[in-house]
Amino acid sequence: MQQLSTSLLAQVSPAQASSAQVPLAQLFPADDFVLLGVILGLPLIGAIVNGVFGKRLGREAVTLMALSAVGLSFVASVLAFFMVSGAQDGETLVRFKWTAWEWFRLSTAGDFSHTQLDVAFSLDSLSAVMILVITGIGSLIHLYSSKYMEDDPGYYRFFTYLNLFIFSMLVLVLGDSLPILFVGWEGVGLCSYLLIGFWFDKSENASAGKKAFITNRIGDFGLLVAMGLLLYFVGALDWAGIEANKQALLTPVKLWPIGTEVPLARILPEEAGLWLNEPRHVSAATLVGLFLFLGCAGKSAQLPLYVWLPDAMAGPTPVSALIHAATMVTAGVYLVCRMAGVFVLSPAAMFVVALVGGLTALFAATIALVQNDIKKVLAYSTVSQLGYMFLGVGVGAFVAGFFHVLTHAFFKACLFLGAGSVIHAMHARIHDTDQSQDMRHMGGLRKFMPVTFGTFAAAWAAIVGFPLTSGFFSKDEILLKANTSYVTGEKVLAGGGVRIDAFQWPDWGPWVLWGLGASAAILTAFYMTRLFFGTFFGEFKGWTIVPGYAAAHGHDAHHGGHDPHGHDDHAHDHHEQPGPDMKGPEPHESPWQMTLPLVVLGALSIFGGLLSAHLLHLHPIDDFLAPVFQTTVGRVEFIEDHEARTYPLVAFAVLAFAAGTGVAYWIYLQAKGEPARQLAAQFPRLHQLLLDKWRVDELYEETILGAVDSLADMCVWFDKWIVDGILARLSAAVVGLSGTVLRQFQTGRLQSYAAAMVVGLAVVGWFLLTPRASARAFEDHAAGTYSVTAAPGFGYTYRWDSDGDDSWDSESFGDQRTLELSLEVEESRTVRLEVRNALGQTAEREFSFSRPKPDMSGYMPASARIDVTQGADGRMHRVPSEPQLPAGHPTVAPERMEHLKRALEGAGMKQ
Amino acid sequence: MSPAARAFFEAAPYLAAFVVGALIPRRSSVLERVAVGVVGALSVLALQGLWPDPAAPVTEKADEWPHLLNVVVFMPFAGAIALLFLPRQAPKFLQRFTLTVLGLNFVVSLFLLGATMTRGWHFQYIAEWIPSLGIRYHVALDGVSLWMVLLSTFTTPIAAYVAFGSIRKRVKDLCFAFLMLHGAMLGAFVSLDLFLFFVFWELMLIPMLLMIGVWGGVERIKAAYKFFLYTMIGSMMMLAAILYMVWTHYELAGYLTFDYLALSKLTLTRTAAWLCYAGFALAFLIKVPIFPFHTWLPDAHVQAPTGGSIILAAVLLKLGTYGYIRFCMGMFAGPAAHAATTLAGLVIAMGIFYGALIAWKQDDVKRLVAYSSVAHMGFVMLGIFAATQSGVEGALLQMINHGVSTGALFLLVGVIYDRRHTRLVREFGGLAKVMPVYTALFIIITMSSIGVPGTNGFIGEFMVIMGTFASNHLGAFSHVQGGLAAAGVILAAVYMLSVVQKMFFGPLSNEKNLHLSDMNVRESVAIAPLIALVFIIGFFPSLFLNRMTDSVTATIDRYVEGRIAWMQGDEAAPASLRPRRGGPLETGYPLPPASSPSSEGTVAAALDAEAGKEAH
Repeated sequence: MQQLSTSLLAQVSPAQASSAQVPLAQLFPADDFVLLGVILGLPLIGAIVNGVFGKRLGREAVTLMALSAVGLSFVASVLAFFMVSGAQDGETLVRFKWTAWEWFRLSTAGDFSHTQLDVAFSLDSLSAVMILVITGIGSLIHLYSSKYMEDDPGYYRFFTYLNLFIFSMLVLVLGDSLPILFVGWEGVGLCSYLLIGFWFDKSENASAGKKAFITNRIGDFGLLVAMGLLLYFVGALDWAGIEANKQALLTPVKLWPIGTEVPLARILPEEAGLWLNEPRHVSAATLVGLFLFLGCAGKSAQLPLYVWLPDAMAGPTPVSALIHAATMVTAGVYLVCRMAGVFVLSPAAMFVVALVGGLTALFAATIALVQNDIKKVLAYSTVSQLGYMFLGVGVGAFVAGFFHVLTHAFFKACLFLGAGSVIHAMHARIHDTDQSQDMRHMGGLRKFMPVTFGTFAAAWAAIVGFPLTSGFFSKDEILLKANTSYVTGEKVLAGGGVRIDAFQWPDWGPWVLWGLGASAAILTAFYMTRLFFGTFFGEFKGWTIVPGYAAAHGHDAHHGGHDPHGHDDHAHDHHEQPGPDMKGPEPHESPWQMTLPLVVLGALSIFGGLLSAHLLHLHPIDDFLAPVFQTTVGRVEFIEDHEARTYPLVAFAVLAFAAGTGVAYWIYLQAKGEPARQLAAQFPRLHQLLLDKWRVDELYEETILGAVDSLADMCVWFDKWIVDGILARLSAAVVGLSGTVLRQFQTGRLQSYAAAMVVGLAVVGWFLLTPRASARAFEDHAAGTYSVTAAPGFGYTYRWDSDGDDSWDSESFGDQRTLELSLEVEESRTVRLEVRNALGQTAEREFSFSRPKPDMSGYMPASARIDVTQGADGRMHRVPSEPQLPAGHPTVAPERMEHLKRALEGAGMKQ
Repeated sequence: MSPAARAFFEAAPYLAAFVVGALIPRRSSVLERVAVGVVGALSVLALQGLWPDPAAPVTEKADEWPHLLNVVVFMPFAGAIALLFLPRQAPKFLQRFTLTVLGLNFVVSLFLLGATMTRGWHFQYIAEWIPSLGIRYHVALDGVSLWMVLLSTFTTPIAAYVAFGSIRKRVKDLCFAFLMLHGAMLGAFVSLDLFLFFVFWELMLIPMLLMIGVWGGVERIKAAYKFFLYTMIGSMMMLAAILYMVWTHYELAGYLTFDYLALSKLTLTRTAAWLCYAGFALAFLIKVPIFPFHTWLPDAHVQAPTGGSIILAAVLLKLGTYGYIRFCMGMFAGPAAHAATTLAGLVIAMGIFYGALIAWKQDDVKRLVAYSSVAHMGFVMLGIFAATQSGVEGALLQMINHGVSTGALFLLVGVIYDRRHTRLVREFGGLAKVMPVYTALFIIITMSSIGVPGTNGFIGEFMVIMGTFASNHLGAFSHVQGGLAAAGVILAAVYMLSVVQKMFFGPLSNEKNLHLSDMNVRESVAIAPLIALVFIIGFFPSLFLNRMTDSVTATIDRYVEGRIAWMQGDEAAPASLRPRRGGPLETGYPLPPASSPSSEGTVAAALDAEAGKEAH
């Protein structure tokens, strides 16, 4: 594998790079690209310093450390990006690799070989784009947070986690193998857990963090299994190794029955048994693809594992923007792109990816329609947009899907930060987290927060697909590809003596996928417009604005510290409910640290689309990423008349935008939301169902969690009463009981001992007075001599029947205790013995002897024979023979053999 | 460059690490600063081996001082005897003395790392003990036992240090128990004579019994009995098996020996092999413990004092897994391989899952950690049953990991118990507010326990799971079992995160917790090395794995051979002795007494004498 990657890299020797980059290329050669260490190291150092010393460093130092770490990492990323784009020439894949240290080795299938896994990172065009997004948006959000979190007592903790997150995310995208990716994958999950529960003194926040972690772990389980299967079938886990051997995945794998047969089948009727035992196969690629996708579904909040993401909004808003919108949740899409070469081997897995993506897009959009919490709407919108991305990559449009990751990072981060800015403003009077995020208390903020409004509008335009914005281009491309592109593969798979028909995409596939995406697009336009108008247009509904209020009733008066972000349970201090009765100052615009990121992201939301605007024949990012997706060529096909469909579909996209926004405009701005209320009143149960998010959480609670819970209760009961009951208590009871019984004999009363003695004497006496014809027989087959010796006894006399003719040798009893006889070969004889004791009682017994043929099988091997000779001293001595080596012993050189012989003779002398 | 300057530059990384470490504590306690600084410097020292200097000459075989292992094993015993002559009235002095002996023992044991851990036995030392019965004092180290010895010498001082912080009564007895226990554990890990092993194995029981029974909680007597009886039953079965094997060997070879090397050459009849395997396996699996013999563990843990719990979890349980690798796989490859699939299924279903589910439902934190041990040891046993290179290496690493993380968890539970004298989860809540450092440490250890990458737990579990997938000893079930084991990591997150949430997050509702003090100096010093190890193993596992690889390969080779011989062998064949192969794995093979006429033995003696001459 090492060789393969170096040979790939050999094609981009420094000589090929442009002259301006030669010094850099020498500083960072392609196979030892230490710049990655810089990019990764800075945020890690930031996290460690802030984590360990942050409390003592003070606010300024923490800010400086965290921001400079991420900022410098961004600078290094830009440098790395340009080095990649400079080195990349046409279709050849450029992969800059840096191996930090050796990690561990893993056995491959059957333990016949192993694959070395190192802590190695690599950079290609796909990861180059990702690190720009991560460190770029990361820097902006760090800047934003320095103000947003200004007064939080856990300031240093926040930046520790945030830096750690940047580090983990970079590990995720830069990792050169699946296990290293997995390190980042779980690392971001951990940071997400810590940041969701950042304000841990509220139980809901902590629960939300736990839920996120555990749901993600279900996905991680999928990733673990996928890694195991890849290791088994492909024998490698690094990118180059997987790519080199991935064809091995095109074999059928028996899923059922496990082992040879189902044990149950024997007791069932024959047909049912046959059906149960019928082998069921699936291609290894499908299995790997589906398990990988389970991981993606966990991290990227797809059905059925999306439930954690809306709850994750409990974290501070910058976290929602960075982790739960722009970067971490897109890791699943990144993984599918990264493993594109494996995914395309299985049309079935790709279809599942696309279908789940489409379903999630639509499903989440329906929930977002009715939510009132501004962050919840954005959260469901994120789930829905992630669905789009999977729809895109699922139909094989990897660039389109990945491009949506990029544009979504711009506009969704902007939306979240804008929402944060709004919430920040609402906090002037409303301190309860839920209340301050409720859309129904906002409205008309356009007047008070012009910058926030402007940037929010730009991001809104992008997400609803306003023509020529970034979201328009990326979403349009996905919908277009969903309708025209599909994945194809072998019709029949053979291997291991089995042939199976491989899954092919159905004809209705593209239309269904497109239908899901298109309807979600309309809904997206609708609910985002609802959110946008509800927040920034109309009248302000939070409180009655009293000019100069802040001076008189600063909310500082209530608290020791200025603590504006609702993580304290100080909502109960305020008896006032938000509404016209409450008085307050004008909502304020946020400081520059918060608006600058908004402006940058807003601009990117509008103009970012030009990176891949196929309508305008601009596609730099497609060209840049093309080498990465070389691996999928030949497996992604277009339907026949796809070019003819381009313009009708674009027209439809514009129409979807117009319909969604138009209806929302009419309902919420023209009619002040009246039609929506009527609709809700008309279908109260449907409305409630949507408001309760289809009650999926409750469903999981009742079924899966409930089942595990009662299973755990059962286990506890079983452990206590059955395992411990039988093994410890029952055996203790048995021992105790026998002790109790035996104790009855140890009463200490002399009479009972005497009585026992009498009984004992009687038993012994009876034993002695009964005759017993016990005897021992001796056999010597070789000599043919046999003998029987009767046991002696008190006053015993004996008589024998030695010839087996049923008559005694002499009628009288005598003293002869031993009978000897000799037999010929193959002769047998039965002899009898009668014993009489002093009281005249008799006992009789029979003995049978037979002499077998001599046993010739047990000849003596040469090695066991020992030659002896009589020495001069008259004692026997062993004749030194050739030393015999035990079988399997390493051979001994002749000269050593001599030496050994001498040693042996020496040993013989001592005897 | 002058030598002084060079020395300065060579020492610079350690000095820097020392300074950084010393800056970490927020208190001005010198002890704490120095201790954390030393941990930092030692971490750098440990990492040094990771990037070998290409210019440095590679020494193939470092000089091994043959008595080093004897010194390591007998130092605690000598300490224990010396302790008897020290005054009971000076508990502080006794504690310092014990810690010095244990600490010195750890330092000396570090020299064991100097040997290149090639295939075969190192630091081997053989002396006649009871010649008439063929019993020898035979100790040796390989890549498997090396880490068990180091784990033991590493955790015991920590456990003792922690115990001395909270136990005030019968200090001398406690010190004596610690030293005896430590010596016995070390002896059991390095014995290659079954009689010697059995002596150490039993000797270990008594100090542990006393530790639970004397310094334990309310129900300590019951727990101590349970611990003792369970282990004893296993031991008796093992003793019976040992005696049967020695007798059979005597019948075949004509001389008595209890030596592992000789007895592992025995091929017993099928029935006898199964019974002897069962005897050994029962002893070890009770110790591990696996279902259904696990119920002594929660009781023992809950009742034992913190120091005892740490040793019990970190080292004693490892004797079960170590014993299984060394003796069950080494001497009964056939039965072990036959039982592997079933037993692997058992440890997955009734260890990883069942243990985790029960742990989830516990109110008592210590009980929870004890049941989590059952789940973790399930992973270890699974790796052993899979018997692939990465499976066994992962299992060994997971043994160290379990020692580190579970030891640290018990330590942390002890911290809160010392303050509140309760371990019930419902008594706590929102502790993060009053004990931030404690919370941070607890979360780090939790992450290690549930196997988050970057910590030690991940490497072990990952290698075990991947090793299970690759295994051909588990037959058609390897993928299913690998997948199920992977699913086990979900449950680990469930129970550990639940308890973290209940104890540390949410509002600080219980008034008694309002004024709890954070970690004190002693506790911080005790846990610092464990925390450092969590990350060192997590990031740089090859430091550990490289030293065990050869021995693990040897173990697996022998296991595979034994398995093949068992499969190909005649089912009705009588007992026999397999021929010797020579080589490094058989140095120190017991020879028949001089009067015996067996030519084979004499040749072997000559061969060994030769090998010895060439080595020197």
